Amino acid sequence: MNVFELTAGCVALGGREVLHEVSVVVEAGEFVAVLGANGSGKTTLVRTLVGLVPLTGGSLSLFGTPIRRFREWPRLGYVPQRLAVGGGVPSTVREVVASGRIGRARRLRPMGRDDRAAVDHALEDVGLLDRAGDAVGRLSGGQQQRVLIARALAGEPEVLVLDEPTAGVDADSQDTLAGALGHLSQAGGSVVLVAHELGPLAELIGRAVVLHDGRVVSDGPPPAPEGHHADPGHVHVHPHETSQPAQRSMLEPRTFG
Amino acid sequence: MSLFEFDFMQRALVAAVLVGLAAPAIGTFLVQRRLALMGDGIGHIALTGVALGFLLGTAPVLTAIVVAVLGAVTIELIRERGRTSGDVALALLFYGGIAGGVLLIGLSPGGSSTTLVGYLFGSLSSVRAEDLIVIAVLTVAILGVVLVFGREMYAVCMDEEVARVSGLPVRFLNLLVAVTAALTVTVAMRVVGLLLVSALMVVPVATAQQMSTSFRATLLGACGLGVLASVGGLVMAFYADVAPGASTVVLALGGFLIAAAVGAVTRRTA
Repeated sequence: MNVFELTAGCVALGGREVLHEVSVVVEAGEFVAVLGANGSGKTTLVRTLVGLVPLTGGSLSLFGTPIRRFREWPRLGYVPQRLAVGGGVPSTVREVVASGRIGRARRLRPMGRDDRAAVDHALEDVGLLDRAGDAVGRLSGGQQQRVLIARALAGEPEVLVLDEPTAGVDADSQDTLAGALGHLSQAGGSVVLVAHELGPLAELIGRAVVLHDGRVVSDGPPPAPEGHHADPGHVHVHPHETSQPAQRSMLEPRTFG
Repeated sequence: MSLFEFDFMQRALVAAVLVGLAAPAIGTFLVQRRLALMGDGIGHIALTGVALGFLLGTAPVLTAIVVAVLGAVTIELIRERGRTSGDVALALLFYGGIAGGVLLIGLSPGGSSTTLVGYLFGSLSSVRAEDLIVIAVLTVAILGVVLVFGREMYAVCMDEEVARVSGLPVRFLNLLVAVTAALTVTVAMRVVGLLLVSALMVVPVATAQQMSTSFRATLLGACGLGVLASVGGLVMAFYADVAPGASTVVLALGGFLIAAAVGAVTRRTA
Protein backbone atom coordinates (compact mmCIF):
# COMPACT_ATOMS: atom_id res chain seq x y z
CA MET A 1 0.00 0.00 0.00
CA ASN A 2 1.18 3.52 -0.68
CA VAL A 3 1.51 5.77 2.35
CA PHE A 4 2.00 8.88 0.25
CA GLU A 5 1.26 9.29 -3.41
CA LEU A 6 2.06 12.73 -4.73
CA THR A 7 1.47 13.11 -8.46
CA ALA A 8 2.73 16.13 -10.39
CA GLY A 9 2.43 18.21 -7.23
CA CYS A 10 2.88 21.96 -7.58
CA VAL A 11 3.14 24.25 -4.58
CA ALA A 12 3.40 28.03 -4.49
CA LEU A 13 4.47 30.00 -1.44
CA GLY A 14 3.91 33.75 -1.43
CA GLY A 15 3.02 33.69 -5.11
CA ARG A 16 6.23 31.92 -6.15
CA GLU A 17 6.10 28.31 -7.23
CA VAL A 18 8.58 26.31 -5.14
CA LEU A 19 7.63 22.77 -6.16
CA HIS A 20 7.22 22.01 -9.85
CA GLU A 21 5.29 18.86 -10.74
CA VAL A 22 6.92 16.74 -8.09
CA SER A 23 5.89 13.09 -8.08
CA VAL A 24 6.85 10.94 -5.11
CA VAL A 25 5.41 7.63 -3.95
CA VAL A 26 6.26 6.27 -0.53
CA GLU A 27 5.25 2.68 0.13
CA ALA A 28 4.51 1.21 3.53
CA GLY A 29 7.68 0.22 5.34
CA GLU A 30 10.01 2.43 3.32
CA PHE A 31 12.69 4.61 4.90
CA VAL A 32 13.13 7.64 2.63
CA ALA A 33 15.50 10.58 2.94
CA VAL A 34 14.72 13.85 1.14
CA LEU A 35 18.00 15.53 0.26
CA GLY A 36 18.93 18.76 -1.43
CA ALA A 37 20.37 22.22 -0.91
CA ASN A 38 18.73 24.98 1.06
CA GLY A 39 15.85 26.37 -0.94
CA SER A 40 15.50 23.21 -3.02
CA GLY A 41 12.02 22.57 -1.61
CA LYS A 42 12.72 19.74 0.87
CA THR A 43 10.80 21.24 3.75
CA THR A 44 7.95 22.32 1.51
CA LEU A 45 7.74 18.80 0.12
CA VAL A 46 7.35 17.14 3.51
CA ARG A 47 4.98 19.88 4.72
CA THR A 48 2.90 19.21 1.64
CA LEU A 49 2.86 15.48 2.30
CA VAL A 50 1.43 15.99 5.81
CA GLY A 51 -1.18 18.46 4.57
CA LEU A 52 0.26 21.68 6.00
CA VAL A 53 0.80 23.27 2.61
CA PRO A 54 -1.96 23.14 -0.02
CA LEU A 55 -1.25 21.97 -3.53
CA THR A 56 -1.72 24.43 -6.35
CA GLY A 57 -1.63 21.61 -8.87
CA GLY A 58 -1.44 17.84 -9.02
CA SER A 59 -2.87 15.41 -6.50
CA LEU A 60 -1.97 13.85 -3.17
CA SER A 61 -3.27 10.69 -1.53
CA LEU A 62 -2.57 9.50 2.01
CA PHE A 63 -3.02 5.77 2.61
CA GLY A 64 -4.93 5.61 -0.64
CA THR A 65 -7.38 8.39 0.25
CA PRO A 66 -7.30 11.78 -1.49
CA ILE A 67 -6.15 14.33 1.09
CA ARG A 68 -9.42 16.25 0.87
CA ARG A 69 -11.26 13.24 2.29
CA PHE A 70 -8.47 11.94 4.54
CA ARG A 71 -9.45 11.80 8.25
CA GLU A 72 -7.19 9.14 9.75
CA TRP A 73 -4.62 11.64 11.01
CA PRO A 74 -3.41 9.51 13.95
CA ARG A 75 -1.78 7.21 11.39
CA LEU A 76 0.65 10.09 10.74
CA GLY A 77 3.37 11.46 12.98
CA TYR A 78 5.09 14.76 12.22
CA VAL A 79 8.22 16.27 13.74
CA PRO A 80 8.69 19.82 12.48
CA GLN A 81 12.04 21.55 12.37
CA ARG A 82 12.37 23.18 15.77
CA LEU A 83 15.37 24.22 17.78
CA ALA A 84 13.44 23.79 21.03
CA VAL A 85 10.12 22.65 22.42
CA GLY A 86 7.76 25.60 22.16
CA GLY A 87 5.53 27.35 24.65
CA GLY A 88 5.80 30.12 27.24
CA VAL A 89 4.77 27.98 30.22
CA PRO A 90 6.93 25.22 31.67
CA SER A 91 5.93 21.69 30.74
CA THR A 92 7.32 18.41 31.94
CA VAL A 93 8.81 16.03 29.40
CA ARG A 94 5.89 13.69 30.06
CA GLU A 95 3.30 16.42 29.41
CA VAL A 96 4.83 17.27 26.05
CA VAL A 97 5.11 13.64 24.98
CA ALA A 98 1.58 12.87 26.21
CA SER A 99 0.24 15.68 24.03
CA GLY A 100 1.27 13.49 21.08
CA ARG A 101 -1.59 11.16 22.05
CA ILE A 102 -4.12 13.92 21.42
CA GLY A 103 -5.12 12.57 18.00
CA ARG A 104 -6.22 9.34 19.66
CA ALA A 105 -7.76 10.96 22.75
CA ARG A 106 -11.43 11.46 23.51
CA ARG A 107 -12.80 14.64 25.01
CA LEU A 108 -13.65 14.41 28.72
CA ARG A 109 -12.05 11.01 28.99
CA PRO A 110 -8.85 10.84 31.03
CA MET A 111 -5.81 9.11 29.62
CA GLY A 112 -6.15 5.35 29.91
CA ARG A 113 -3.67 2.57 30.46
CA ASP A 114 -2.96 2.27 26.73
CA ASP A 115 -2.15 5.97 26.52
CA ARG A 116 0.22 5.86 29.46
CA ALA A 117 1.92 2.75 28.10
CA ALA A 118 2.42 4.41 24.71
CA VAL A 119 3.90 7.51 26.35
CA ASP A 120 6.24 5.42 28.49
CA HIS A 121 7.27 3.39 25.48
CA ALA A 122 8.00 6.52 23.43
CA LEU A 123 10.03 8.02 26.28
CA GLU A 124 11.98 4.81 26.66
CA ASP A 125 12.63 4.67 22.93
CA VAL A 126 14.39 8.05 22.99
CA GLY A 127 16.12 7.31 26.30
CA LEU A 128 14.34 9.94 28.37
CA LEU A 129 12.10 7.86 30.64
CA ASP A 130 14.18 8.87 33.66
CA ARG A 131 13.71 12.56 32.77
CA ALA A 132 9.92 12.32 32.38
CA GLY A 133 9.20 14.59 35.35
CA ASP A 134 11.75 17.26 34.45
CA ALA A 135 10.88 20.61 32.93
CA VAL A 136 11.53 20.25 29.22
CA GLY A 137 13.17 23.69 29.06
CA ARG A 138 16.04 22.45 31.25
CA LEU A 139 17.03 19.81 28.70
CA SER A 140 19.79 20.24 26.12
CA GLY A 141 18.90 20.96 22.50
CA GLY A 142 19.53 17.36 21.49
CA GLN A 143 17.39 16.06 24.32
CA GLN A 144 14.57 18.47 23.38
CA GLN A 145 14.72 17.16 19.83
CA ARG A 146 14.34 13.66 21.27
CA VAL A 147 11.29 14.87 23.23
CA LEU A 148 9.74 16.14 19.98
CA ILE A 149 10.30 12.76 18.36
CA ALA A 150 8.90 10.95 21.39
CA ARG A 151 5.81 13.17 21.13
CA ALA A 152 5.27 11.95 17.57
CA LEU A 153 6.02 8.32 18.52
CA ALA A 154 3.52 8.46 21.41
CA GLY A 155 0.72 8.70 18.85
CA GLU A 156 1.85 5.30 17.51
CA PRO A 157 1.94 6.47 13.91
CA GLU A 158 2.32 4.18 10.93
CA VAL A 159 4.44 6.78 9.19
CA LEU A 160 6.74 9.33 10.74
CA VAL A 161 7.69 12.49 8.84
CA LEU A 162 10.66 14.42 10.23
CA ASP A 163 12.12 17.74 9.11
CA GLU A 164 15.84 17.94 9.84
CA PRO A 165 15.73 15.86 13.02
CA THR A 166 19.49 15.85 13.32
CA ALA A 167 20.19 19.57 12.79
CA GLY A 168 22.03 20.96 15.78
CA VAL A 169 21.86 17.65 17.66
CA ASP A 170 24.83 16.19 19.54
CA ALA A 171 26.30 12.83 18.51
CA ASP A 172 24.76 10.88 21.39
CA SER A 173 21.29 12.18 20.61
CA GLN A 174 21.79 11.40 16.93
CA ASP A 175 22.57 7.80 17.83
CA THR A 176 19.49 7.62 20.06
CA LEU A 177 17.36 9.08 17.27
CA ALA A 178 18.71 6.56 14.82
CA GLY A 179 17.88 3.77 17.28
CA ALA A 180 14.30 4.99 17.78
CA LEU A 181 13.70 5.37 14.04
CA GLY A 182 15.26 1.95 13.48
CA HIS A 183 12.76 0.39 15.91
CA LEU A 184 9.86 2.06 14.14
CA SER A 185 11.16 0.85 10.80
CA GLN A 186 11.70 -2.72 12.04
CA ALA A 187 8.13 -2.74 13.35
CA GLY A 188 6.95 -2.07 9.79
CA GLY A 189 6.55 1.70 10.07
CA SER A 190 7.52 4.10 7.30
CA VAL A 191 9.84 7.06 7.75
CA VAL A 192 10.28 10.13 5.56
CA LEU A 193 12.90 12.59 6.70
CA VAL A 194 14.59 15.72 5.47
CA ALA A 195 18.28 15.82 6.23
CA HIS A 196 21.34 17.88 5.62
CA GLU A 197 23.54 15.43 7.41
CA LEU A 198 22.68 11.76 7.46
CA GLY A 199 25.15 10.85 10.20
CA PRO A 200 24.13 7.63 11.98
CA LEU A 201 20.87 7.63 10.00
CA ALA A 202 22.73 6.76 6.80
CA GLU A 203 22.58 3.00 7.28
CA LEU A 204 18.81 3.04 7.87
CA ILE A 205 17.96 4.83 4.65
CA GLY A 206 16.64 2.67 1.86
CA ARG A 207 15.98 5.38 -0.67
CA ALA A 208 16.92 8.98 -1.30
CA VAL A 209 14.84 11.58 -3.12
CA VAL A 210 17.07 14.46 -4.18
CA LEU A 211 15.50 17.82 -4.93
CA HIS A 212 17.00 20.70 -6.84
CA ASP A 213 15.12 23.94 -7.45
CA GLY A 214 11.80 22.34 -6.62
CA ARG A 215 12.20 19.35 -8.93
CA VAL A 216 13.14 15.74 -8.22
CA VAL A 217 16.55 15.24 -9.83
CA SER A 218 17.19 11.75 -8.52
CA ASP A 219 15.17 9.07 -6.76
CA GLY A 220 16.70 5.75 -5.86
CA PRO A 221 19.13 3.97 -3.58
CA PRO A 222 20.90 6.33 -1.20
CA PRO A 223 24.39 7.49 -2.02
CA ALA A 224 27.05 5.13 -0.67
CA PRO A 225 28.45 6.35 2.64
CA GLU A 226 31.99 6.18 1.30
CA GLY A 227 33.06 8.69 -1.30
CA HIS A 228 29.55 9.97 -1.82
CA HIS A 229 30.81 13.50 -2.20
CA ALA A 230 31.84 12.56 -5.68
CA ASP A 231 28.37 11.35 -6.56
CA PRO A 232 26.93 13.73 -9.14
CA GLY A 233 23.49 13.54 -7.56
CA HIS A 234 24.87 14.60 -4.24
CA VAL A 235 26.42 18.00 -4.73
CA HIS A 236 23.52 19.62 -2.91
CA VAL A 237 24.29 18.16 0.49
CA HIS A 238 26.69 20.25 2.52
CA PRO A 239 29.29 17.88 3.88
CA HIS A 240 31.77 20.61 4.74
CA GLU A 241 29.48 21.91 7.43
CA THR A 242 29.54 18.76 9.54
CA SER A 243 31.70 20.29 12.22
CA GLN A 244 29.23 22.81 13.63
CA PRO A 245 25.70 21.95 12.62
CA ALA A 246 24.12 23.91 15.49
CA GLN A 247 25.84 27.14 14.59
CA ARG A 248 25.06 26.64 10.98
CA SER A 249 21.35 26.41 11.55
CA MET A 250 21.44 29.57 13.63
CA LEU A 251 23.43 31.62 11.17
CA GLU A 252 21.98 30.45 7.92
CA PRO A 253 19.21 32.57 6.49
CA ARG A 254 16.06 30.60 7.18
CA THR A 255 14.63 29.31 3.98
CA PHE A 256 11.47 27.32 4.20
CA GLY A 257 11.89 26.08 0.68
CA MET B 1 -17.84 45.75 61.88
CA SER B 2 -16.45 43.49 59.22
CA LEU B 3 -16.03 44.90 55.74
CA PHE B 4 -18.01 42.00 54.30
CA GLU B 5 -21.15 43.05 56.18
CA PHE B 6 -21.73 45.52 53.37
CA ASP B 7 -23.87 44.08 50.61
CA PHE B 8 -21.75 45.62 47.88
CA MET B 9 -18.62 44.13 49.42
CA GLN B 10 -20.21 40.68 49.54
CA ARG B 11 -21.01 40.94 45.86
CA ALA B 12 -17.54 42.26 45.09
CA LEU B 13 -16.01 39.40 47.07
CA VAL B 14 -17.90 36.75 45.10
CA ALA B 15 -16.95 38.48 41.87
CA ALA B 16 -13.30 38.69 42.96
CA VAL B 17 -13.11 34.97 43.72
CA LEU B 18 -14.67 34.07 40.36
CA VAL B 19 -12.42 36.47 38.45
CA GLY B 20 -9.36 35.30 40.35
CA LEU B 21 -10.09 31.75 39.22
CA ALA B 22 -11.12 32.41 35.63
CA ALA B 23 -8.52 34.96 34.50
CA PRO B 24 -5.35 32.91 35.17
CA ALA B 25 -7.02 29.71 33.92
CA ILE B 26 -7.34 31.03 30.37
CA GLY B 27 -4.29 33.26 30.85
CA THR B 28 -2.08 30.17 31.18
CA PHE B 29 -3.00 29.19 27.62
CA LEU B 30 -2.33 32.71 26.34
CA VAL B 31 1.12 32.73 27.95
CA GLN B 32 1.79 29.25 26.58
CA ARG B 33 1.01 30.60 23.13
CA ARG B 34 3.12 33.71 23.76
CA LEU B 35 0.06 35.93 23.40
CA ALA B 36 0.28 37.42 26.88
CA LEU B 37 -0.84 40.81 25.60
CA MET B 38 -3.96 39.51 23.88
CA GLY B 39 -6.08 40.18 26.99
CA ASP B 40 -4.87 43.76 26.89
CA GLY B 41 -5.98 44.18 23.31
CA ILE B 42 -9.39 42.70 24.03
CA GLY B 43 -9.71 44.99 27.06
CA HIS B 44 -9.10 48.04 24.89
CA ILE B 45 -11.73 46.91 22.41
CA ALA B 46 -14.23 46.06 25.15
CA LEU B 47 -14.21 49.72 26.21
CA THR B 48 -16.06 50.55 23.00
CA GLY B 49 -18.60 47.91 23.99
CA VAL B 50 -19.10 49.47 27.43
CA ALA B 51 -19.65 52.93 25.95
CA LEU B 52 -22.00 51.45 23.36
CA GLY B 53 -24.11 50.11 26.22
CA PHE B 54 -24.40 53.60 27.73
CA LEU B 55 -25.24 55.09 24.35
CA LEU B 56 -27.95 52.51 23.65
CA GLY B 57 -29.24 52.47 27.21
CA THR B 58 -28.64 48.73 27.61
CA ALA B 59 -26.47 46.94 30.18
CA PRO B 60 -22.84 47.85 29.39
CA VAL B 61 -21.69 44.38 30.40
CA LEU B 62 -23.75 42.78 27.61
CA THR B 63 -22.56 45.13 24.87
CA ALA B 64 -19.02 44.70 26.20
CA ILE B 65 -19.35 40.91 25.81
CA VAL B 66 -20.54 41.24 22.22
CA VAL B 67 -17.87 43.75 21.19
CA ALA B 68 -15.08 41.92 23.06
CA VAL B 69 -15.97 38.60 21.42
CA LEU B 70 -16.06 40.21 17.96
CA GLY B 71 -12.74 41.92 18.69
CA ALA B 72 -11.13 38.70 19.89
CA VAL B 73 -12.27 36.82 16.79
CA THR B 74 -10.87 39.63 14.62
CA ILE B 75 -7.53 39.54 16.46
CA GLU B 76 -7.34 35.78 16.05
CA LEU B 77 -8.13 35.92 12.34
CA ILE B 78 -5.48 38.61 11.81
CA ARG B 79 -2.97 36.56 13.81
CA GLU B 80 -3.80 33.43 11.83
CA ARG B 81 -2.75 35.08 8.60
CA GLY B 82 0.64 35.50 10.21
CA ARG B 83 1.88 38.46 8.22
CA THR B 84 4.01 41.09 9.89
CA SER B 85 1.40 43.68 9.00
CA GLY B 86 -0.84 41.82 11.44
CA ASP B 87 1.14 43.47 14.23
CA VAL B 88 0.19 46.92 12.99
CA ALA B 89 -3.39 45.82 12.32
CA LEU B 90 -3.66 44.75 15.95
CA ALA B 91 -2.29 48.08 17.15
CA LEU B 92 -4.90 49.90 15.06
CA LEU B 93 -7.62 47.76 16.59
CA PHE B 94 -6.46 48.56 20.13
CA TYR B 95 -6.31 52.32 19.62
CA GLY B 96 -9.64 52.22 17.84
CA GLY B 97 -11.11 50.45 20.86
CA ILE B 98 -10.07 53.11 23.36
CA ALA B 99 -10.86 56.03 21.07
CA GLY B 100 -14.21 54.51 20.13
CA GLY B 101 -15.08 54.06 23.79
CA VAL B 102 -14.27 57.63 24.77
CA LEU B 103 -16.03 58.96 21.67
CA LEU B 104 -19.23 56.97 22.20
CA ILE B 105 -19.43 57.78 25.90
CA GLY B 106 -19.15 61.46 25.03
CA LEU B 107 -22.08 61.10 22.64
CA SER B 108 -24.29 59.24 25.11
CA PRO B 109 -26.74 61.28 27.20
CA GLY B 110 -25.22 62.36 30.50
CA GLY B 111 -22.05 60.38 29.83
CA SER B 112 -18.49 61.62 30.11
CA SER B 113 -15.14 59.94 30.12
CA THR B 114 -15.20 59.89 33.93
CA THR B 115 -18.08 57.39 33.61
CA LEU B 116 -15.56 55.01 32.11
CA VAL B 117 -13.01 55.24 34.91
CA GLY B 118 -14.80 52.59 36.95
CA TYR B 119 -14.60 50.27 33.97
CA LEU B 120 -10.97 51.06 33.25
CA PHE B 121 -9.63 50.39 36.74
CA GLY B 122 -12.44 48.50 38.49
CA SER B 123 -14.79 49.74 41.14
CA LEU B 124 -15.99 48.08 44.33
CA SER B 125 -19.45 49.55 44.40
CA SER B 126 -20.19 48.86 40.75
CA VAL B 127 -20.87 45.12 41.02
CA ARG B 128 -24.66 44.92 41.02
CA ALA B 129 -26.69 41.78 41.70
CA GLU B 130 -27.48 41.25 38.02
CA ASP B 131 -23.80 41.69 37.14
CA LEU B 132 -23.02 38.93 39.58
CA ILE B 133 -25.27 36.52 37.73
CA VAL B 134 -23.54 37.31 34.42
CA ILE B 135 -20.13 36.95 36.07
CA ALA B 136 -21.06 33.60 37.64
CA VAL B 137 -22.48 32.16 34.42
CA LEU B 138 -19.46 33.27 32.39
CA THR B 139 -16.99 31.93 34.94
CA VAL B 140 -18.65 28.53 34.81
CA ALA B 141 -18.46 28.68 31.01
CA ILE B 142 -14.77 29.66 31.04
CA LEU B 143 -13.77 26.96 33.52
CA GLY B 144 -15.92 24.48 31.59
CA VAL B 145 -14.07 25.27 28.36
CA VAL B 146 -10.71 24.77 30.08
CA LEU B 147 -11.91 21.49 31.58
CA VAL B 148 -13.38 20.06 28.39
CA PHE B 149 -10.95 21.39 25.79
CA GLY B 150 -7.85 21.93 27.95
CA ARG B 151 -5.88 19.01 26.53
CA GLU B 152 -6.52 20.04 22.95
CA MET B 153 -5.89 23.72 23.71
CA TYR B 154 -2.57 22.75 25.31
CA ALA B 155 -1.52 20.84 22.19
CA VAL B 156 -2.52 23.72 19.89
CA CYS B 157 -0.90 26.39 22.06
CA MET B 158 2.34 24.44 22.19
CA ASP B 159 2.71 23.54 18.53
CA GLU B 160 0.02 24.56 16.10
CA GLU B 161 1.42 22.68 13.11
CA VAL B 162 1.82 19.40 14.93
CA ALA B 163 -1.71 19.81 16.29
CA ARG B 164 -2.94 20.33 12.74
CA VAL B 165 -1.24 17.17 11.53
CA SER B 166 -2.78 15.32 14.50
CA GLY B 167 -6.15 16.20 12.99
CA LEU B 168 -7.21 18.66 15.70
CA PRO B 169 -9.69 21.40 14.69
CA VAL B 170 -6.98 24.04 15.09
CA ARG B 171 -8.92 27.06 13.91
CA PHE B 172 -11.89 26.19 16.12
CA LEU B 173 -9.61 25.74 19.14
CA ASN B 174 -7.78 29.01 18.47
CA LEU B 175 -11.07 30.86 18.21
CA LEU B 176 -12.24 29.10 21.36
CA VAL B 177 -9.20 30.40 23.26
CA ALA B 178 -9.78 33.91 21.87
CA VAL B 179 -13.50 33.97 22.67
CA THR B 180 -12.90 32.54 26.14
CA ALA B 181 -10.30 35.25 26.72
CA ALA B 182 -12.86 37.85 25.62
CA LEU B 183 -15.43 36.51 28.07
CA THR B 184 -12.80 36.61 30.80
CA VAL B 185 -12.08 40.24 30.06
CA THR B 186 -15.72 41.17 30.48
CA VAL B 187 -16.03 39.05 33.63
CA ALA B 188 -13.05 40.79 35.16
CA MET B 189 -13.78 44.33 34.07
CA ARG B 190 -15.95 45.23 37.08
CA VAL B 191 -13.37 44.05 39.59
CA VAL B 192 -9.98 44.89 38.07
CA GLY B 193 -10.95 47.08 35.13
CA LEU B 194 -10.31 46.79 31.41
CA LEU B 195 -6.84 48.30 31.48
CA LEU B 196 -5.61 45.93 34.18
CA VAL B 197 -7.57 42.79 33.38
CA SER B 198 -4.71 41.36 31.36
CA ALA B 199 -2.46 41.59 34.41
CA LEU B 200 -4.68 39.16 36.29
CA MET B 201 -4.52 36.81 33.30
CA VAL B 202 -0.75 36.92 33.06
CA VAL B 203 0.97 37.88 36.35
CA PRO B 204 -0.27 34.90 38.42
CA VAL B 205 0.91 32.62 35.60
CA ALA B 206 4.33 34.25 35.57
CA THR B 207 4.47 33.85 39.36
CA ALA B 208 3.37 30.22 39.38
CA GLN B 209 5.89 29.20 36.75
CA GLN B 210 8.74 30.45 38.92
CA MET B 211 8.03 27.52 41.19
CA SER B 212 6.64 24.81 38.92
CA THR B 213 7.98 22.47 36.29
CA SER B 214 4.68 21.35 34.79
CA PHE B 215 1.90 23.01 32.85
CA ARG B 216 -0.78 21.54 35.10
CA ALA B 217 0.88 22.81 38.29
CA THR B 218 1.37 26.23 36.70
CA LEU B 219 -2.32 26.44 35.78
CA LEU B 220 -3.59 25.35 39.19
CA GLY B 221 -1.05 27.48 41.04
CA ALA B 222 -1.93 30.52 38.93
CA CYS B 223 -5.63 30.10 39.74
CA GLY B 224 -4.84 29.96 43.46
CA LEU B 225 -2.60 33.00 43.24
CA GLY B 226 -5.23 34.81 41.17
CA VAL B 227 -7.84 34.35 43.90
CA LEU B 228 -5.37 35.49 46.57
CA ALA B 229 -4.52 38.61 44.58
CA SER B 230 -8.08 39.57 43.69
CA VAL B 231 -9.49 39.02 47.19
CA GLY B 232 -6.46 40.66 48.81
CA GLY B 233 -6.73 43.52 46.36
CA LEU B 234 -10.39 43.95 47.25
CA VAL B 235 -9.69 44.19 50.97
CA MET B 236 -6.84 46.62 50.33
CA ALA B 237 -9.03 48.72 48.06
CA PHE B 238 -11.72 48.92 50.76
CA TYR B 239 -9.40 50.12 53.50
CA ALA B 240 -7.13 52.32 51.43
CA ASP B 241 -9.99 53.64 49.30
CA VAL B 242 -8.21 52.97 46.00
CA ALA B 243 -9.38 51.36 42.76
CA PRO B 244 -9.45 47.55 43.27
CA GLY B 245 -7.75 46.95 39.93
CA ALA B 246 -4.68 48.81 41.09
CA SER B 247 -4.42 47.11 44.49
CA THR B 248 -5.03 43.66 42.96
CA VAL B 249 -2.33 44.09 40.34
CA VAL B 250 0.16 45.59 42.80
CA LEU B 251 -0.38 42.59 45.09
CA ALA B 252 0.01 40.19 42.18
CA LEU B 253 3.22 41.89 41.08
CA GLY B 254 4.55 41.80 44.65
CA GLY B 255 3.88 38.07 44.69
CA PHE B 256 5.75 37.72 41.42
CA LEU B 257 8.82 39.55 42.75
CA ILE B 258 8.93 37.33 45.85
CA ALA B 259 8.48 34.17 43.75
CA ALA B 260 11.14 35.27 41.27
CA ALA B 261 13.61 35.87 44.11
CA VAL B 262 12.79 32.56 45.80
CA GLY B 263 12.91 30.78 42.45
CA ALA B 264 16.32 32.25 41.62
CA VAL B 265 17.72 31.11 44.97
CA THR B 266 16.26 27.60 44.82
CA ARG B 267 17.40 27.13 41.24
CA ARG B 268 20.91 28.11 42.23
CA THR B 269 21.02 25.67 45.12
CA ALA B 270 19.24 22.90 43.20
